[in-house]
Amino acid sequence: MRPDDALSIAREDLPEWLALLGTRAQMIAPTSGPHGDVFYSPVSSPDEILWEFENSLQPPKRFLLPQTDPLVKIHSDGGRFHLEPVCDDRRQILVNLRSCDLKGLLYLERVHTYDLPDPSYLRRSENRSLVSLACTEPCPPGFCICCDAGPFLRHGFDLQMTMLSDRMFVEVGSDKGRSLLEGAESMFRPATPDEIAKREALEAAARDHFKTETCHFGSAMRRISTGRVAEELWEAMGDWCLECGGCTLICPTCYCFSVKDRRVDEGWVRCRTWDSCQYAAFTLEASGHNPRPGRKDRMKRRFFHKVSAQYYQRDGDVGCVGCGRCIKVCMGTTNMPAVVEAIRKGEWHG
Amino acid sequence: MADLFSPSVSTILSERDETPDTRTYQLRFRDSQEHERFVFRPGQFLELSVFGVGEAPFCLASSPTRRQFLEVTVRRTGQVTDALHALGPGDEIGVRGPCGNGFDLAAAEGHDLLFIAGGIGLPPLRGLIWNILDERDRFGRVTILYGARTPTDLVYKDELQLWQGRDDIELFVTVDQAEPGWEGNVGMVPILLEMAELRPASTLTYVCGPPIMIKFVIQDLLMRGFAEERVISTLERTMQCGVGKCNHCCIGHLYVCRDGPVFNYRQIREMVE
Ligand SMILES: Cc1cc2nc3c(=O)[nH]c(=O)nc-3n(C[C@H](O)[C@H](O)[C@H](O)COP(=O)(O)OP(=O)(O)OC[C@H]3O[C@@H](n4cnc5c(N)ncnc54)[C@H](O)[C@@H]3O)c2cc1C
Ligand code: SF4
Ligand code: FES
Repeated sequence: MRPDDALSIAREDLPEWLALLGTRAQMIAPTSGPHGDVFYSPVSSPDEILWEFENSLQPPKRFLLPQTDPLVKIHSDGGRFHLEPVCDDRRQILVNLRSCDLKGLLYLERVHTYDLPDPSYLRRSENRSLVSLACTEPCPPGFCICCDAGPFLRHGFDLQMTMLSDRMFVEVGSDKGRSLLEGAESMFRPATPDEIAKREALEAAARDHFKTETCHFGSAMRRISTGRVAEELWEAMGDWCLECGGCTLICPTCYCFSVKDRRVDEGWVRCRTWDSCQYAAFTLEASGHNPRPGRKDRMKRRFFHKVSAQYYQRDGDVGCVGCGRCIKVCMGTTNMPAVVEAIRKGEWHG
Repeated sequence: MADLFSPSVSTILSERDETPDTRTYQLRFRDSQEHERFVFRPGQFLELSVFGVGEAPFCLASSPTRRQFLEVTVRRTGQVTDALHALGPGDEIGVRGPCGNGFDLAAAEGHDLLFIAGGIGLPPLRGLIWNILDERDRFGRVTILYGARTPTDLVYKDELQLWQGRDDIELFVTVDQAEPGWEGNVGMVPILLEMAELRPASTLTYVCGPPIMIKFVIQDLLMRGFAEERVISTLERTMQCGVGKCNHCCIGHLYVCRDGPVFNYRQIREMVE
């Protein structure tokens, strides 16, 4: 942490600063839904923003990768077609992201930059600023510590905030982050040695907090990468999958999609829509042949993509940020830590 | 930076029925500069779209040496292919590509070349075959083995006759089931391996067709001493994006739309699903 990258602001000044940011870009923040559920959604006033909350079940990935993402507008006049790429140039600031979710967005950015860069994704990402709120009290099912995705981040954020008793500690991680302080300089001052020490202590305490929530990727990775997981084990786990696709929809790093034309008033919009490798039709071929006919085949696919050394080499990380959402959502208990544990031990609890 | 998902509008110049359910289209980009700029290798494919219906991948069936138009041969099998068959000359469609790796022509230089195709497996090889015939001196002997279910199911019937008449190609054709008037070979594609003069040591072999045919032909070739690396095939997977992003076409960490569709048999054998 360089000295001019560590600042602090009085907590009572936060609303004023955020209101100022709200005049420059749409503010996306955790909010409380009608039944008390937490959602990341646009806010019009800093009062709506939650500061102490259990992370939302829906990750904020939809602000970078919308469930239905228009790519090209198509219309025809008299049989001649006109195409117009759609670009999302809206400025958005995502605040109070949890460390795991921010790490998830970095992963998505990498897969869209790798090999052939995807300009429509990158344009959107250029217009997003990512401000995280470090987890001083890690959430119960999370295991971010095993994925290098929390409870605090070392890099990747534009700003990372840590709540101290009466002040907010703010780390600047990028030029984009620094630009968020423009016009509010008077509210911020360099962090004092005492504040830096407090932040370090909070991180150490948060790391200590993890005891039973762990996920040993190493040995599972060795087995998955070399195909040394018994077919019977996949079969046993596959039996517990209900094919709902929930794990992929709520996963901050899942990004499989399909491309579809949607009818709109004057023509069509070609859209990218979320899809799931856990659905049987995902690989169904025109001949009727399906290379992944069984649930076990599709489960194998999901964990190969997330945990194999082949993908780890390509993406520089496992495809899991330890958010724990699949633990909450999977009715069949075939969540990430359970499957990794089963592969490591060679047996399934079911 | 080019947009990954925006197709270019192209016009269907003409269509030709190959079989009752298969048709070849000649296409040209509406913007002729774009047409001139378009470069590809045989074995690469296009994402074609019928606007409002959707997109599907089709291999380029024409040779880069013939630049007036692009050709694709399409078999009716579902939504997009039905909609394509409903279109004709003058109609506009979308073209995105070229996608995929394509055949390595430089690696084929100086070698004897053996093409083995079954049914609708000839289109991906046809572009390569014409490319080679248009630069005939660069290559050794050319042998083509082709089979279909019935004589009606043979594609490019005129061209088969043309090739039959050339003395710088050996062509053998067979059908699983004869029809009245058929005087040629009857039997599955592997019977042609008995008829052709094979030179495993100097030959690169290209095999395309239904998975079951590919399987038997490759087994046969390996038994006859062809090296795995010199047996080349194309893989088909359900695709959506064609640019390595959507994950529909993955086999392990390989993307058929980016790392393929052309692979040698050794690569195919080592793939982990
Ligand atoms: C690299 C590559 C190159 C290719 N090259 C060629 C080529 O040169 N020529 C060619 O003809 N093909 C080629 N193909 C195959 C071609 O892409 C497919 O035939 C095409 O995608 C089918 O699309 P479709 O929209 O017409 O079919 P879809 O509508 O997607 O239907 C596909 C199949 O799904 C099934 N299906 C559809 N709807 C239903 C339903 N409601 N209920 C049950 N089943 C259903 C049917 O069996 C149908 O045949 C290639 C494929 C790849 C990957
Ligand atoms: S695999 Fe599960 S724990 Fe890991 S990032 Fe996805 S939803 Fe979260
Ligand atoms: S078709 Fe989308 S990744 Fe290959």
